[in-house]
Amino acid sequence: MIGRDRQVAGGIRRRMVVAAAMMMTAAAAVGVLPVSAGSAAAQEARKGGTLSIILQPEPVTLTPSTNMAQPTQVVAGNIFDGLVAYDFDLKPKPALAERWEVAPDGLTITFHLRSGVKWHDGKPFSAADVKWSLENIWKTIHPRNKSLFENVTQVDTPDDSTVILRLSKPSLPILSVLNGVGAPILPKHLYEGTDILNNPYNNKPVGTGPFVFKEWKRGEYVELARNPDYWEAGKPYLDRLLFRIIPDAAARAAAIEKGEIQYAPYNPVPFRDAERLSKLPRLKVDTRGYEWLSPLLYLDFNVENQYLKDVRVRRAIAHAIDRAALAKIVWFGYAKPAISPVPSSLVTFHNAKLPQYPFDVKKAEALLDEAGFKRDANGVRFTLTHDFLPYGDDYRRTGEFLKQALKRVGIEVTIRSQDSAAFIKRVYVDRDFDFAISYNNAFPDPQIGVVRAFWSGWLGTGTPWTNGSGYRNARADALIQEAGVEGDPAKRVAEFNEFQDIVLGDVPSLPLLELNFFSVYSADLQGIVEQGDQVYSSLKNARFVDAPKAN
Amino acid sequence: MALPDTASLPPTRTDFRDRTVGRLLRRPSALVGLILLAGILAMAGFADIAFPGDPLDMAGTPLLRPGDAAEFPLGTDMMGRDLASGIFHGARVSLLIGGVAALVSLVIGIGIGALSGYYGGRVDRALMRVTELFQTIPPFLFTLALVAILQPSIATITTAIGITSWSGLARLVRAEVLRLRNSELAQASIILGASDARIIFLHILPNTLAPVIVSASILVATAILTESSLSFLGLGDPNVVSWGGMVGAGRETIRTDPHVAAIPGVAIVIAVLALNLLGDGLNDVLNGKGERR
Repeated sequence: MIGRDRQVAGGIRRRMVVAAAMMMTAAAAVGVLPVSAGSAAAQEARKGGTLSIILQPEPVTLTPSTNMAQPTQVVAGNIFDGLVAYDFDLKPKPALAERWEVAPDGLTITFHLRSGVKWHDGKPFSAADVKWSLENIWKTIHPRNKSLFENVTQVDTPDDSTVILRLSKPSLPILSVLNGVGAPILPKHLYEGTDILNNPYNNKPVGTGPFVFKEWKRGEYVELARNPDYWEAGKPYLDRLLFRIIPDAAARAAAIEKGEIQYAPYNPVPFRDAERLSKLPRLKVDTRGYEWLSPLLYLDFNVENQYLKDVRVRRAIAHAIDRAALAKIVWFGYAKPAISPVPSSLVTFHNAKLPQYPFDVKKAEALLDEAGFKRDANGVRFTLTHDFLPYGDDYRRTGEFLKQALKRVGIEVTIRSQDSAAFIKRVYVDRDFDFAISYNNAFPDPQIGVVRAFWSGWLGTGTPWTNGSGYRNARADALIQEAGVEGDPAKRVAEFNEFQDIVLGDVPSLPLLELNFFSVYSADLQGIVEQGDQVYSSLKNARFVDAPKAN
Repeated sequence: MALPDTASLPPTRTDFRDRTVGRLLRRPSALVGLILLAGILAMAGFADIAFPGDPLDMAGTPLLRPGDAAEFPLGTDMMGRDLASGIFHGARVSLLIGGVAALVSLVIGIGIGALSGYYGGRVDRALMRVTELFQTIPPFLFTLALVAILQPSIATITTAIGITSWSGLARLVRAEVLRLRNSELAQASIILGASDARIIFLHILPNTLAPVIVSASILVATAILTESSLSFLGLGDPNVVSWGGMVGAGRETIRTDPHVAAIPGVAIVIAVLALNLLGDGLNDVLNGKGERR
């Protein structure tokens, strides 16, 4: 309780300072004066209030060191600050690092850290924490980062606020993963010498972020409180974040509608309900804030299948699918047709001048005829089995959509459903499938989330969400390898352009849709979506413009 | 164990049938059940004539309400599939699953019950332990597990429901057989040197028919419900239309377009109600309560 009292005292002290500067606002925050909605003072920087947030499903842990599940990252983004954050164009902007330099040869990256930053337990944050986290987490146990930090041979900390990464080969994608969940910095003084995976602080995290962990009541909520010593003066605005666990979608929709929940990220309700909620004046539905993830829905063809090994058949299937209709009907417009495995949100790398597969049933039929698969008496050319990622009805309906689309060109499809463990084993381990739907987050650099679906080095490893099609192309492999260690950004773009050209020509994996996740939040809130990695970042800019509703 | 003489003298077949059907038709609830069931059977039979296309086809604008468009009298679901076509074709799948699953559990249940009751002793003890094993596992969870392991298709769903729902029937048949085993009829046959199989099939089983028929109608109803629940949880066969699958698909739009889930839901209610009414009627008639009314 001592820690808690200290925080409360800190909060009061801060309020007094603010009150001196801005009487009206501060008075409103402590509830002395009622402020009418929309008044100028309230619009400026209203402080205080509890923000209730949907957390779905309940996380397994609250520290994003090995478990990269979405709910873990949604909470952790508020507790852990990263070296940088990302704007809507996915460019890094300062956070714990005030500035950074990459040497022209790409072999040295220097970070200059903000000074005076404190961990939530009062200990000072320093370069040693970054060095320790890099060596013990990013490079070793963090599932996405291992390959990116592989070439970091040495980390120097000449003083408490400088970190120098020395690399054997350049690794530019590092600069795309340095936010609080992509490269989490954990307190060395609490983790050093312990079993990192079972450290008790994993479930009562201590970070440097704008909100301090208070309580996790399993099955009910995770509570965070304002960090009064946060390095960014005046922030955060809110007193408390309450992440509530509501497993039922209908109950979530009702809670949002009633105003009990004011912020709900990650598709909290079915698409059709989102449509309905977006029409209510009190609520906003927003698809921004997910740019850092760039989720892509794709169709993996098993290139060892007797029909699908023929590239003409794969191209025919690509022509037979009306991706605009798929986006509109199955995904209710919360998606847009994808034309490249590199999503268009990766502005630097996305190449729009590529082989295209417009919806064209005649062309599809012609390609299948050319491949020698004629229609039989029943109009069937051949039969394929389809497996869909068992992540919910949207994926099942995508499978049903494909079944009907391919029926039109004479391909009979049998849909097979299974649980996610069986799906992963079937597609990535046993390779006992014909074609399957799945989705991957691309992240800001193709090296992180895109090339894994095409690099032959993943074959035989059984790693989920890697090369599912069984594709092998020496040139594509070479380009992936080169771009991984290329120090010149312009050359990397050229390499990725050629890469996209090759894999779209061969279509071992057909990009279907760029998915748009959405958040629902109260119109009373401001500053909810301010950056490209918002959902995995903090709500330090969030504030109520109206008096928050009582809970 | 003194039994009334009439019980040991089975009525002739035509007698049994005529009287049963006649008495059944005189009971309003059973009559309603029969009519509803006949309607569902007709829907299943004429599905291809009434709705010749593929019921999974995305035929129209998604989420039409009933009455919005003449060609879709019951509206469309979120993929633009015709709900009326789904109801007709779904009747087929639901009845097929209900019927075959009931048949599977009848064969297992009667088989185990008859052997257990007739032979008694060690056979009885062994078979009843197995039956108890099946009885202790909640049948729905058991079915769920089986379907999840075998992967959902019509065949696996039907088999799984059949395998998990026979235990009650087995105990019922065993009790009946145990009673008849010691009746004068069976004793006489044994003295005359009839084979066990002949006694079981010709003399004992026909006399257990009444309770078996009643539970069969309930078994079909339960099987339809179980299949619906499985489909609702996403463990249906995605390649065919079933009523449960339609309810499951409509669940997401229940706030905005309740008809997508409600229409197939009503179909399930009617089918299960029809079978239950029929079962009740049969129960009353076959146990002779009908005459005393």
